[in-house]
Amino acid sequence: MKFFAGPEYSLKYEEQGVRCVSAKNAVNKKKTKFTRDSVVVGLMLAPAVIFLCVCSIYPFIWIFRYICYDYNGFTANYTGMRNFTRMLGDKTFWNSVGHTFEYAGYKLIFIIPLALVVAVLLNNRMKGTSIFRGVYFMPTIISTSISGMIFTFIFATQNGVLNAMLTKLHLIDSPVKWLTSQGVVMAAVTIMAIWGGFGNYMLYFINGMNGISEDVYESAKIDGANGFQTFFKITLPMLSPVLKVILMLAITGAFKDYEAILVLTKGGPGNRSMVMFLYIYNLIFGSSSASSQPQIGYGALLSVVAAIIVGIVTVIYMRISRKLDDVV
Amino acid sequence: MEKGHAVYSTSSKIVRMILWILMVLLAVVTIFPVIYIVFGSFKANAELLVGGTNIFPSKWVFSNYADAWQQANFATYTLNSVFLAVGVMLISLVTATMSGYVFSRRQFKGKELIYGLFVMFMFINVGSVSLRPLFELAVKLKMNQSLLSVIFISAGSGQATYIFLSRGFVNTIPKELDEAAKIDGCTFFQTYRLVILPLLKPVMATIALLSFRQGWNEYIMPLVFTMTNDKLRPLTVGVNMLKNAGDGTAAWNIMFAGATIAIIPMLIIYCMFSRYFMNGITSGAVKG
Repeated sequence: MKFFAGPEYSLKYEEQGVRCVSAKNAVNKKKTKFTRDSVVVGLMLAPAVIFLCVCSIYPFIWIFRYICYDYNGFTANYTGMRNFTRMLGDKTFWNSVGHTFEYAGYKLIFIIPLALVVAVLLNNRMKGTSIFRGVYFMPTIISTSISGMIFTFIFATQNGVLNAMLTKLHLIDSPVKWLTSQGVVMAAVTIMAIWGGFGNYMLYFINGMNGISEDVYESAKIDGANGFQTFFKITLPMLSPVLKVILMLAITGAFKDYEAILVLTKGGPGNRSMVMFLYIYNLIFGSSSASSQPQIGYGALLSVVAAIIVGIVTVIYMRISRKLDDVV
Repeated sequence: MEKGHAVYSTSSKIVRMILWILMVLLAVVTIFPVIYIVFGSFKANAELLVGGTNIFPSKWVFSNYADAWQQANFATYTLNSVFLAVGVMLISLVTATMSGYVFSRRQFKGKELIYGLFVMFMFINVGSVSLRPLFELAVKLKMNQSLLSVIFISAGSGQATYIFLSRGFVNTIPKELDEAAKIDGCTFFQTYRLVILPLLKPVMATIALLSFRQGWNEYIMPLVFTMTNDKLRPLTVGVNMLKNAGDGTAAWNIMFAGATIAIIPMLIIYCMFSRYFMNGITSGAVKG
């Protein structure tokens, strides 16, 4: 083997020599090589960029094209400002905006504290922490459409398991009309949303808490802080940057939810659980109950308005959270 | 990190015990709907229509599944779901790793702009309206007769998260490896395929799981695309179509079985790879 070592070395040196000599040529060659390389780069980026253009940018532009049209999928008529005036007088839409805020409010009020408390407890290294975490997170892997369906069975008035249990525990006398009474349908929708989402936010919180140094807790313990003090004086303040991000994700997420509601209640009864994106979906693809014609132009306008509403809420939230920074 | 082996006083022990019991209760509540559906799928239809608090069936009926599989077309639905989920997964893996690598390693004109567009359209959400132009496009291209259009759109609208994930991961791989590969005569693409891709395995596992879940759970889009075509429906749509059918109350047992078929594969995958799921969720959202 040793015999081969010599020639190998010399080969390497020779190669280097060749490189030095041809350095001049390389300058000329550089241009062609650069283009071939950039073609490769372009090709590798192409699928993602094409997807971005087709699936995100094209629909976005398309929407603006039909804002002033009456379009049912086949014929489009220019109607000028009529869509705008219709929107201003559309009670169903503005009610659905109200319901969206209501739903988002309920969801956040319950889901964020629950997720935070659960995360803190899991961080305390209880027995079976990883099992708890796995179970709590489990609902998020189930399709929202399927969980909507599951809860239709659970909330069923006559033969639903929830009413049966509540009756057995003597908490209610007559079955609650979870999905068909205007008074409680929001509660039903909220329960489903909490079930499906709190594991997700719990995981965000756990992840954020991993960033808090163990020493801080150690010294707090030495100073004699109890669990509540540790939570309010240490965990919460040190978590606040993460908390802000999580809250923003939760807010924008809650405003976008409509899939599970579509399955659970279809926005009923009497549009009581109609959120704005569900109303828009019904306009654009025709609601399944009534064989109404799709009203795509009007739906396009409303979806722009809905996107703006979500945008405004996000901006307001960011303002407030910045203000809180100054106060605390 | 050492586990704190603190000595707890009796009162704090009791508090911990109470908290632990509350956690168990919460876990039971969380898991209950799934248990209820899975065991309910073995109940006779008559038992389901009467209701009651029993979780376990009084008489185990296995024919629900045979009925669902044959009469209610669930064999086709399941195949479609698998096709959809695997398709979304494969496309997401290819596009995300390639563009993540390019974004991490290359400087070129317009890079900031393209990247900014990806971020921007992650936050702009106009809801279901964006499916309308895509649907019309698919009809024009005669692609609405196969699930491929659904796969492409699903992969296309979910790709941003995966690209960020893989870009972040490539950033942690030392650049020296690329340079070494280059000296050895690798082209840019060869470096990706032979050097980077094998190192991306952990993040690829995460992307694969998340995108598989995305494809498997997709609902609104396949619902819209298969309005008139029963043969293309995945499980999520097929099961819910049963519910919307006029005599829906009559077939609870089949709906329970269908929902179980839709949940169980995902649950098994989750039990096996829950760590990757959780890693992906957190690194995709909070860190990224």
